[in-house]
Amino acid sequence: MQLDAKIPVGPLAEKWDNHRFNLKLVNPANKRKYTIIVVGTGLAGGSAAATLAELGYNVKAFCYQDSPRRAHSIAAQGGINAAKNYPNDGDSIRRLFYDTVKGGDFRAREANVYRLAQISNNIIDQCVAQGIPFARDYGGLLANRSFGGAQVSRTFYARGQTGQQLLIGAYSALMRQVAEGKVNLLPRREMLDLVLVDGQARGIVARNLVSGEIESHAADAVVLATGGYGNAFFLSTNAMGSNVTAAFRAYKKGAFFANPCFTQIHPTCIPVHGSYQSKLTLMSESLRNDGRVWVPKKPGDSRSPEDIPESERDYFLEQKYPSFGNLVPRDVASRNAKEQCDMGKGVGDTKIAVYLDFTDAIKRDGRGIIEKKYGNLFEMYDKITADNPYETPMMIYPAVHYTMGGLWVDYDLMSTIPGLFVLGEANFSDHGANRLGASALMQGLADGYFIIPYTIGGYLNEMNSGPVTASHPEFQTAVTAVSDATNQLLSVNGKRTVDDFHKQLGKILWDYCGMSRNNQGLEKARKMIRDLRNEFRENVLIPGSDSEINQSLERAGRVADFLEFGELMVIDALARQESCGGHFNEAYQTEENEALRDDDNYCHVAAWEFTDADKEPLFHKEPLEFENVHLTQRSYK
Amino acid sequence: MNWFINSLGSSIGKKLMMAITGLSFCGFLMAHLAGNLTLYGGRDAFNAYAEHLHSLGILLNFAEIGLLSLALIHILTGLYLFWQNFRSRPVRYAVNKSAGGRTIGSVTMPYTGVFLICFVVFHLLNFHFVDKTQTTIYDIVDTAFSNLPYTLIYILAMVIVAIHVSHGLWSAFQTIGANHLKYMPFVQVASIVLALVFAIGFGFLPIYIAFNL
Amino acid sequence: MTQTINVTLKIWRQNGPKEKGRFETFNAENISTDMSFLEMLDVVNEQLTRNGKIPIAFDHDCREGICGTCGAVINGRPHGPEKATTLCQLHMRKFKNGDTIAIEPFRAMAFRVIRDLVIDRSPLDEIIQAGGYISANTGGAPDANAIPIPQQTAETAMDAAACIGCGACVASCPNASAMLFTGAKISQLALLPQGRPEAAERAISMVRRMDRLGFGNCSNERECEAECPKEISITHIARMNREFLKASFFSSVK
Repeated sequence: MQLDAKIPVGPLAEKWDNHRFNLKLVNPANKRKYTIIVVGTGLAGGSAAATLAELGYNVKAFCYQDSPRRAHSIAAQGGINAAKNYPNDGDSIRRLFYDTVKGGDFRAREANVYRLAQISNNIIDQCVAQGIPFARDYGGLLANRSFGGAQVSRTFYARGQTGQQLLIGAYSALMRQVAEGKVNLLPRREMLDLVLVDGQARGIVARNLVSGEIESHAADAVVLATGGYGNAFFLSTNAMGSNVTAAFRAYKKGAFFANPCFTQIHPTCIPVHGSYQSKLTLMSESLRNDGRVWVPKKPGDSRSPEDIPESERDYFLEQKYPSFGNLVPRDVASRNAKEQCDMGKGVGDTKIAVYLDFTDAIKRDGRGIIEKKYGNLFEMYDKITADNPYETPMMIYPAVHYTMGGLWVDYDLMSTIPGLFVLGEANFSDHGANRLGASALMQGLADGYFIIPYTIGGYLNEMNSGPVTASHPEFQTAVTAVSDATNQLLSVNGKRTVDDFHKQLGKILWDYCGMSRNNQGLEKARKMIRDLRNEFRENVLIPGSDSEINQSLERAGRVADFLEFGELMVIDALARQESCGGHFNEAYQTEENEALRDDDNYCHVAAWEFTDADKEPLFHKEPLEFENVHLTQRSYK
Repeated sequence: MNWFINSLGSSIGKKLMMAITGLSFCGFLMAHLAGNLTLYGGRDAFNAYAEHLHSLGILLNFAEIGLLSLALIHILTGLYLFWQNFRSRPVRYAVNKSAGGRTIGSVTMPYTGVFLICFVVFHLLNFHFVDKTQTTIYDIVDTAFSNLPYTLIYILAMVIVAIHVSHGLWSAFQTIGANHLKYMPFVQVASIVLALVFAIGFGFLPIYIAFNL
Repeated sequence: MTQTINVTLKIWRQNGPKEKGRFETFNAENISTDMSFLEMLDVVNEQLTRNGKIPIAFDHDCREGICGTCGAVINGRPHGPEKATTLCQLHMRKFKNGDTIAIEPFRAMAFRVIRDLVIDRSPLDEIIQAGGYISANTGGAPDANAIPIPQQTAETAMDAAACIGCGACVASCPNASAMLFTGAKISQLALLPQGRPEAAERAISMVRRMDRLGFGNCSNERECEAECPKEISITHIARMNREFLKASFFSSVK
């Protein structure tokens, strides 16, 4: 089946305008007759729930955390891009569009990305109106910085806490609607199934994480904004609770999953230092502006960094990429660090790290300047590692950070299930095979504030079916299925803990479906994941019951999904016999070890359809057509 | 008037009442201290001051009623706050440790307050509600402080006043919103200085008299 | 340097909001000093699970000090002994071999204990619902640079906006007062020109809601400021007081 993205006709710059005009409006008096479920309260979900309620819809907002303000969007540090061109340095909507498409290695949909760039400016206006204290220049106007190797300064930021500030903005808008009675807020709830009535998404089944009760919630449309699946790797920069469950269960109900093998590995994270480690911490990418990345030339050199003379140091990024040096894109920097460690040149106790050295920058600019730029990051590093980066080089290593894949959506952000919309990181749409820095926040808010409020109206106008309540038999069926699955998990009473399985799955994915992949490894991983999944079903140990707060049970449900989803990632990676962005298959690389795309055969979105448990999923393709950009090979030499 | 009651009844409103009455008492104490310093001038000076004060007649009664009202507001609000604050953590911590914000003044505020109520009653019984037809105020003071326990109670009370004021004064500024980067350090120092002034100014008087210095 | 230590944990266990709680003692052995405090609890929980016991329930999510989910009182100090640090960022190297560590939930009448160290902080959300926002519907905003804001003002607003809503201010306050939390939001929005139109209404409404929810009153003990993982200053409480008094006595808002 060839997927239809329903991209509006007309010139690129007019598509969104035309489409908005063509979408039928919902009469204001009728909006209050509709109920919309929004799962997830991060930037995408929070902004969507608030905006839909402002328009007059009844909204039910769900999150697994104790408050909507905890969603992991809060951890984004760097900033948010917009094509405002305030610095007058040559930026434009078209340039932001082009950079995003190119950065995504030409695996994103042109029309979506262009719309994103158009909307980017409205986002900044909206956020300032909400009272977000963006950084400002002395004259009181908004400050911008260049980020992630971009040649223009288009990133707006609020110290190193941009995600937090934007999220709190969306959260406050949401709280205002809660106070007005337009949003029914349901925190500490985990969506466990999507309910379809006559083929349309009409509600969800969720577990109350405090009482354990399985609840049914009916609606006229369901919006998923449940984030990415980076925690499939166990160790990632995601929050501990981030999971794929909502998206995966929607996939099992018929929503296609697109490009699951596209994961982004961020180069500058604090390295793993023990088997007990629960998560990885990102150090802002901006550190590479002044830090120099190096390893000892001699493999196995265990001298401390200050004892290694200049001549015996390998500044491998500067050597290999003389013009970009330490500022090469995330995927390139990450792969090179791995390559050095694989050659035995890694540093630190584990030998799985490279140095990021500020000695030269401190000599050049003085400690004061460096402290002003990175003081808080150095402090954070010191807090975690007890090493002082002013005196000894930082140690960094790449870590899973973001997932570009997600549920397939059309131009209206609707999945293949009518009435199921997917926003933010949970969908696949705008970043192609690699996301540029400061673009995730932009996409989440664009989807929630400015796209879904229009497109959902179009759907509701045409859905043509009467009201459904939670007493509908489909809900009963779903509740029974969910309860059975829970009881099944609890009854295993095996020997290994949930985390134990999760760590093992993470290691398999990291080793074989991580920064660089090969067919042999992927095949091996696939079998290992299947075996692990079978063992999980027979040997998992979950204490407690289902009628109380039970954090092990929560994790077990998520890990059970990761164990199935992990295989889908591998299947997708195997199906894509090319390298592009975050997906690097060792068999496909240029002479300079860059990702080598195969535009003739793989210039498409791979969307997977669930068939049956443990059965091969069905492959569907959405060809990507580029009418406005020329496909080029990325080069950072 | 609902808005007025609601405003004063709110947590910030109650604190405002504490702050304003507290600041008024600081003012009163300064005036009281200024008057008492005449003791250093000897019997005649002090009695003259007392007489002058009493010649104010009805004005003095007004002042007394004013002080009594301030005291009632300060005490009742303070007790109510204390009860509310106590109630707001029904299960206490097994281990308590300060992060360094609290001071001896702030920790003991309700207790020094209650002590001071008792002291004020004691003080008024000693010096105010006594028959002054046969004697002068100076003699009363002189007799009182020749009694060592009296002297000690008064000195202790003045130390406690100082502790209460050391937190109360800057705290009142904070409560009315007058916390400014530039001026707050001054207010905090002033709180300590004023506390010391009260402690030494009032506290030395009983010693001066008791030992006939 | 990485070392391993043994510590004794006295952890508050409570099955539900209405149940009686008690301390239980656990021995955490061979704990690497590079572990975070929560990783140490993970290790204890894995052991409990393997031994057929119920693990300790505690809230946590981002584990990088920004989401505000985690928090417990460690030897009398919310988020533990290190300044400007959330519990997830506290590392075991701050403890010595043989230490006994008492771990209690954040306690306040307004924060119900749900289980063990998990508490209900929804009253903080309710305070925000009472006015911790600027009523700007999506779509109507003027250009972001239409109103210049002095850099210093924006920075001060950001100081207040850094609040992560963890509730440590309430937990550390001898009176379980939420003035720092409420003050930070009122202050942030009062500083910015966009927040001025609703400033009076917001101050009154948020303060009254805070009072109704059973938090104690501020007595300027400054423990909140000392414990706040984001080091939010009590000058924001002063600004709230000013805003509230101004709104109560000089605005037309009732």
